[in-house]
Amino acid sequence: MGLTIKNVNKSYGDKKVVDNISLEINKPGVYGLLGTNGAGKTTTIRMLLGILKKDSGQINWNGKEVKRKHVNFGYLPEERGVYPKVNVYTQLMYFAKLKGMKEEKADEAIKYWLKRLEVEEYMNMTPEKLSKGNGQKIQFITAVVHDPELIVLDEPFSGLDPVNTEIIRNVILELIKKGKYIIMSAHQMSVVEEFCTDILILNKGKTVLQGNLKQIKDSYKANKLYISTKQDIKKYVEEENLNIYLEKDNEYEIDIKEEEQGYKLFNELAKNNVQVEKFEIKKPSLHDIFIEKVGE
Amino acid sequence: MKDLFLVASFTFKDLVKRKSFIISNIIILLIIVLGFNVPNIIKNISSGDENFGKDKIKIVDNENIYEGTLDLLASQDLGYQIEVLKQQMSIEELKEKIKNGDIEEALYIEIKEGIINVQYVIESESLGTYVPQELIMILQSTYQNLQISKLGVNEEQLAVINMPFNTELVQVEESKTGNSILPMMLLSIVLFYAIYFFAYQVSSSITTEKTSKIIETLVTSTSPKTIVIGKTIGIGLAGVLQTIVTVIVALISAKLFLDSELIDMILSSINLTGTVALVTIVYYILGYSLFALLYALTGSTVAKPEDVQSANGPVAILAVIGFYLSYFTMMNPASSLNKIAALVPISSPFCMPFRVMMGLANTSEILISLAILVITILVIARISIKIYSSAILNYGSKINLKDMFRMYKNKND
Repeated sequence: MGLTIKNVNKSYGDKKVVDNISLEINKPGVYGLLGTNGAGKTTTIRMLLGILKKDSGQINWNGKEVKRKHVNFGYLPEERGVYPKVNVYTQLMYFAKLKGMKEEKADEAIKYWLKRLEVEEYMNMTPEKLSKGNGQKIQFITAVVHDPELIVLDEPFSGLDPVNTEIIRNVILELIKKGKYIIMSAHQMSVVEEFCTDILILNKGKTVLQGNLKQIKDSYKANKLYISTKQDIKKYVEEENLNIYLEKDNEYEIDIKEEEQGYKLFNELAKNNVQVEKFEIKKPSLHDIFIEKVGE
Repeated sequence: MKDLFLVASFTFKDLVKRKSFIISNIIILLIIVLGFNVPNIIKNISSGDENFGKDKIKIVDNENIYEGTLDLLASQDLGYQIEVLKQQMSIEELKEKIKNGDIEEALYIEIKEGIINVQYVIESESLGTYVPQELIMILQSTYQNLQISKLGVNEEQLAVINMPFNTELVQVEESKTGNSILPMMLLSIVLFYAIYFFAYQVSSSITTEKTSKIIETLVTSTSPKTIVIGKTIGIGLAGVLQTIVTVIVALISAKLFLDSELIDMILSSINLTGTVALVTIVYYILGYSLFALLYALTGSTVAKPEDVQSANGPVAILAVIGFYLSYFTMMNPASSLNKIAALVPISSPFCMPFRVMMGLANTSEILISLAILVITILVIARISIKIYSSAILNYGSKINLKDMFRMYKNKND
């Protein structure tokens, strides 16, 4: 059970947009597909959904090759869109039926999701009268209404306010609990760190980093020291030949090359009776790793 | 197949529920009802007024050239409301009265240098103003009769002199005389607008889905082939519904508001047989399919709403060329150009029903024309679906012919 992408390539003319990508998702959870704009994420997603043919390689779901007519995945595209002049219930029923649902089951599912995403009052309204966030939630329903095993979420939180973000966040956590396979593309690294167990970072169509997120982070040495004090500690930092990366109201983020440098500074502060409120040796965040891998 | 029905049904309902569709149809139906009522409206307005709609012309004959015979003209129905002025009036006085609005128009008759001179006096020349030649010819003939009668010619002899000619149109090929061309040309125009309007809706529907980005969700729910064919069927059904409603309203209006003699005259002039009706319906469906698929292709290449007109332009030009090729060759239905127009796919849907009504097309011609049209539709469908599959996911720059060719060659289905 699971998704396997093996040595997949895709070119447009002379331009190679996906270069020999491979990945495997063999247990439920969220897999992060990351990359800058134009890195090849959407092309990869379209190939795995069967709407774009690959030039070479294999994409299998549960051991069978993915073909458009067999695919029944859920998909929330990055490009947001609903029928502006067709009422919400009618268009959700249309998509549910296209996904193979019977009318009665579809009706039940649509009503559940409208309630779950707190948009049931808009059921008989046209999306042109809805806010952007509510329109996005309607589109989210089209991706999950047929209860797919694999769901592709391309930037699911983009453009949502904190309240709606929380609603979608809880829904994704529920989907994970239900054992769904989710592929998520997002630019906010905090979102990826919260949900994803595994990641793949693309740069110009090529895989630059891939694997278990925790293992990736563990493989990196600590590179930042965070200290919060009640007084100025600049002179102690300078004495240790360290560089202050960020300073704000006696809160310091200091570059370090190894953890020992941090402990040494801490001892120095203690010796001089500097009151330290918070001390943390930090490993690179996903954001730092991403920047390092794909450059600014 | 289930998806095809779903797409067709969704597209059909979406179109017929639109306010613009409902309002435009109500307007069309009102125009039809009103159109069939025009004879009654004119009859009601003119009832009790036998001179309704006739030009009021005064005639000034100061020199009594007509020796009182003009009074007889005034009592006859010559298409004008004629009044012979009894009082003497100079040309200046007449002009003054016309200027003041007392008189609308007048004929001023006098003898000048031995010749009868007629001046047609009006306030000012405007569009549609013309000298009433028919009335002047009647005046001329009345004068001639007056002069001939003075020579002692009696009324019987005068009738022989004025004997009207009987004219007849004789065509060598009898079959070409049966039907009046005008109603059939009107039918061709109606056919063109019905085909063109609904085919354009296919492009509009695809462009809306693409520009509103709903297409990404749609193509992961069903195949591009199903979307294109489903849309074509759905909008085609809306066209058929509109046609049926229009015909029913027209028939009821005709029955309620027109004289049965007039209906018989119209029906006999268009030679509406079962074969003609069948051929018209088949060509309507095929013509619509051809242009709808062409519009599906151009509609899918549009990335921004403002590019719709320019992207659809080439199809509109093709449709107009097809229509005019058919329309102008109808003036001479026996010409080889009209025969060609009935075979060329872009013009045959407008031309062949006309030729069948005229009794000009034989079975083999119809079959060849249908075969060409069907093959063209199949080829266009294949090209449209292939290009649509790639073009709908392209939101970048405008797609040109080179891009389309590349997309067609792509293996992406």
